[in-house]
Amino acid sequence: MAPTPAEKAALAQNVTNQPDGPGKRIGKRGEVHVIGNVLPGGGKLFRERIAQFQAEAGYWETHVGTVHDFRVLLFDNDTRILISAIYDGDFLPYLADVINQAGPWFDMLMPGVWEGYTTASDTATRKLIGRQAYTADAFYAGYPDLTTKDIAKMRKLRDAVNAMLDSAS
Amino acid sequence: MSALELSDIQGTVLRGRPMPYYGTYLVFTVQNPRSALTLLERLLPKVTTAADWEAPAENAWINVAFSHAGLSKLGLPEDVLSGFPREVRQGMAARSAFLGDVGSSAPENWDMPHAGNGLDIGLLIMAGSIALRDDKIAIGHAAVSGLPGIVAAHRLDVGLPPTMREHFGFVDGISRPYVEGQGGTPLPGQPIAKAGEFVLGYENELGEIASGPGPQELWRNGTYIALRKLHQDVAAFRRFLRDNANSPEGQELLAAQMMGRWRSGCPLAKSPERDDPAMANDPLRNNDFLYLKEDPDGRVTPAGSHIRRANPRDALDGTVVDMKLHRLLRRGSAYGGVLPEGVMEDDGADRGLVIALINANPGRQFEFVQSQWMNDGDFISEGDRTDPFAGRKDKADDFVTLKPRKRYRGLSQFATTRGGEHLFLPGIGGLKWILGNAKPA
Repeated sequence: MAPTPAEKAALAQNVTNQPDGPGKRIGKRGEVHVIGNVLPGGGKLFRERIAQFQAEAGYWETHVGTVHDFRVLLFDNDTRILISAIYDGDFLPYLADVINQAGPWFDMLMPGVWEGYTTASDTATRKLIGRQAYTADAFYAGYPDLTTKDIAKMRKLRDAVNAMLDSAS
Repeated sequence: MSALELSDIQGTVLRGRPMPYYGTYLVFTVQNPRSALTLLERLLPKVTTAADWEAPAENAWINVAFSHAGLSKLGLPEDVLSGFPREVRQGMAARSAFLGDVGSSAPENWDMPHAGNGLDIGLLIMAGSIALRDDKIAIGHAAVSGLPGIVAAHRLDVGLPPTMREHFGFVDGISRPYVEGQGGTPLPGQPIAKAGEFVLGYENELGEIASGPGPQELWRNGTYIALRKLHQDVAAFRRFLRDNANSPEGQELLAAQMMGRWRSGCPLAKSPERDDPAMANDPLRNNDFLYLKEDPDGRVTPAGSHIRRANPRDALDGTVVDMKLHRLLRRGSAYGGVLPEGVMEDDGADRGLVIALINANPGRQFEFVQSQWMNDGDFISEGDRTDPFAGRKDKADDFVTLKPRKRYRGLSQFATTRGGEHLFLPGIGGLKWILGNAKPA
């Protein structure tokens, strides 16, 4: 007999809102989406810059150190932009740090593309992000209690245990 | 860099407490807003500023601060009230879940009023003698004398215990940032911080002028204070040390590893094996250390120790966190009688610390440090683990050292929150603006 809706809901995760928003939260894992408008001609600029932006993603996101995945795309015929991220911990407390640290990465892509975006360090840009941030209506996170730091630590432990077992075999 | 307008800044912002110190926190509830304005009018000429703060004419001060509820009762314009930072508008009790004030630390267990139940106006008094303190208290009493509708809701006296230490036995208040423009020269190891991190109206570490709600006249030279009353369970701390170390020396080492300093104040980073009281008493050496190069993993000063959590110095360089954005000016003072040496059972007396944390941006300063560094461990790859002294213990109750490699379990709630509020401490010009523009209902 197929499971009832109640039986299927028994595995529901504890989903809350981020303190002060935006974004949902499960365990250590948070999500956020930002949807903005694209300036005329922004699509062309975006495509000229996106390859280098992509190439530098590893550098900047490693530096930030709390992001599990990150996406940016244009849609509606280059009229709107969507940025989304899955990350560890709270959103607002770290916003100033993230903008401060990863600002140059965004500055190489967004000016002339995202309407209202000047530079990352501009207060107006921070307000723009706050205004255009959206919270998911449904969210699932696999292993929500493991942060990127936990995963790195576990990989280190796994390698060490394997090395120990190998040396004994 | 512009010089700080010291004669417009209330004294407690820049003045370290005297030593020894005798202080009082007086909390008033406003039932009659017009009386509150009269109170303010009477107090204004008596408020101590930061002028001559390095060599004050009088070793005492009286300062006045307001909760958002208090400012609302005074009748500040609605657009000004709505411009205060979210943390100040909501009040600390409303932010308890985020700040980890849960369980025994939850606001329903607080015994000091907050903005939601009576803290409208606070008088902060600190002095170098009991007589000087009482003079300042008399000023406070004179200011409310004969005024209907001003209720003295709470009084909390603070003072240096005879042990010259806070109740857990540590010398307190050694490390503090040097505020750009304060005069003098920074001590070795003292970070230089932009004034706008601690005083509104000056450039902050983001390169912006730190600003407040409404007109500049209200917020220039003002700041915010996160006031915390923390009850200390001294007997539980002593029992924890006794049960987890084999000798008095072992107990001292464990206490030092939990704090990051020996009880004398000597930093583990400078003297890892044994206490060095001479080092502790030398301001040229007792704060002159970093972590990243010498001790990146926390083998000497554990990554989860209190001083390394509260002030990671350079330990987070190369990560997303910019330490410069999360600094606090901390003014700690003890209250309550000492639990006699050697007593291992709680005597039921209330003793602890009142901490006034000065910050121009409560969200990215006090609340960041409390929520991310005191009450979480992910920033140091320690998962949910919290501060051994100040952290909530319902998420995790353990503490780890690497040398020796050991995990101590069963830490109890050594410090419990008994009160707290975000207060606005205007400059002298700001107090005048309030007097001129408040329109009580």
